[in-house]
Amino acid sequence: MARLIIRLIAWAGLLYMVLPLVVIVGTSLTAGSVLTFPPEGLSWRWYGIMLDDRSYLSAYATSTVLALAATVVAVILAVPATLAIARYDFPGKATITATLMSPLVLPNIVIGAALLQYGSAFGLTRNFAALLVGHTIIIMPFILRSVLAMMTPGQRALEEASMDLGANAFTTFRLVILPLIRPGLVTGAIFAFISSWINVELSIFHTTAQLDTIPVKLFNYIQYTIDPTIAAVAALTIIVAAVAIVLLDLTIGLDVLSSPEDSQ
Amino acid sequence: MISRNLRPLLLLLAAPIAFFATFFVAPIAVVALASFATDAGQFTWSHYLRILADQYHWEVILATFRIGIVTTLACIVIGYPLAWYMVRIIRLKTWRRICVILLIVPLFTSNIVRSFGWMVLLGRNGLVNDMLVSTGIVERPMRFLGTETGIIIGLTYILLPFIVLAVGNVLAQLDTSLEHASCDLGASAPSTFWHITLPLSLPGLIAGAIMVFALAVSAYVTPALLSGGKVTVLSILIFQQYSSVFDFHYGGALSMVLLILTLILVAMAGRIRGKHLDGVA
Repeated sequence: MARLIIRLIAWAGLLYMVLPLVVIVGTSLTAGSVLTFPPEGLSWRWYGIMLDDRSYLSAYATSTVLALAATVVAVILAVPATLAIARYDFPGKATITATLMSPLVLPNIVIGAALLQYGSAFGLTRNFAALLVGHTIIIMPFILRSVLAMMTPGQRALEEASMDLGANAFTTFRLVILPLIRPGLVTGAIFAFISSWINVELSIFHTTAQLDTIPVKLFNYIQYTIDPTIAAVAALTIIVAAVAIVLLDLTIGLDVLSSPEDSQ
Repeated sequence: MISRNLRPLLLLLAAPIAFFATFFVAPIAVVALASFATDAGQFTWSHYLRILADQYHWEVILATFRIGIVTTLACIVIGYPLAWYMVRIIRLKTWRRICVILLIVPLFTSNIVRSFGWMVLLGRNGLVNDMLVSTGIVERPMRFLGTETGIIIGLTYILLPFIVLAVGNVLAQLDTSLEHASCDLGASAPSTFWHITLPLSLPGLIAGAIMVFALAVSAYVTPALLSGGKVTVLSILIFQQYSSVFDFHYGGALSMVLLILTLILVAMAGRIRGKHLDGVA
């Protein structure tokens, strides 16, 4: 009896999770001109209209370039920081770690507003540099977290062996440390890329009519009009999410909720 | 010893610390300072007093908390059984994997897109109203958009994966020998659940719930889209100060309130999780 109730709630919960995404993909395929679910007939017409509108393509391009650039900068900054945190003891370590991780939980809208107010003094607002800096801040914790998880004290011996055999610090990093942290780095980078790609709360302070990311463009558009083009644009972002998840599943495997005894 | 260690440490940390100090700590410090300053740059409490004195703000803060609490409760009520189902009931690995993917795909999709889905579903002629009317549960279509109910439905949807993953992780790691012992000693399944499993999974549940609450009270996009301008929450108020009112002092004070509230909640969640981890080790 209890088992049945749990099953019913769980199935309802799973239905609840997929319903909005199915509805968006469904409505984007409508042949009619109003947004309805189930769709009236099936067609690719709204995808055609989306592709004809250059502003959507440029927003997709902006989002992608921004997410890639922010991920690269975040990796360059985060990997040395994780090495310092994992391998050294120094005063203020806990505070520095907590500060570097804090954008994960602080309201993005406050970080965005703060950057707007601060950057206005020297022109770091409403341009690509402002977006890049803000996104780098908010996605760095993802990389820090997953790379730190791959670093264990035991690896120290391997690094020392490498140095003793005459490798310099950079060679040791490339040949010893990097292979050890690679899975964490890939996972963190995928999470970081996606968090940048879907961000609205921070971007909204720094986008302009010419420099628009896809989520902000959708946000501004949805508040005034809703038509199936929007559903097509939104559906495309769902497909990007699905691709990212397949990539994640291939790199780390998503069997995260198996108990140890199951995997025997 | 220290000098030998200091050079590589500085090389590793200089860039990330400089970057964070310049583009994260300094901006927040500027907001904090602005929240205590008049236009002429004098120190003042007036922006904070304005929040306390104005009844409208109390209503906004109250609505924000109400939405946060109901969202958190809804996430627990749906999330715990769902996590239980995924960890304890599902036997087929492929199906469990599909369930995890169903939970994570929404996490990888923008809040905009997910809230947009609910705008379509919850409209007057949306699927939800169609079903409610055709099954005779209500006579006329209900109004969801522009109400707190609509915002709660949207936020619960967005935050549910967090609680399922938090509880699911704890349930998956749980040492089942205690439960077996309880059953062997003659306790019924419900009694074992209430006396053994639930208390053991409580730290994960509470930490997840606090995170959900913190994210719910600071959410902007979902309330902005599903409120249709009819319900105001704290984050909407903050956004207005920076985007249309241009009162950076008052906006700063509101930001600080939200920031400190979030920090307190996160610290609480961290303590509970930390204690729990100590207990396991």
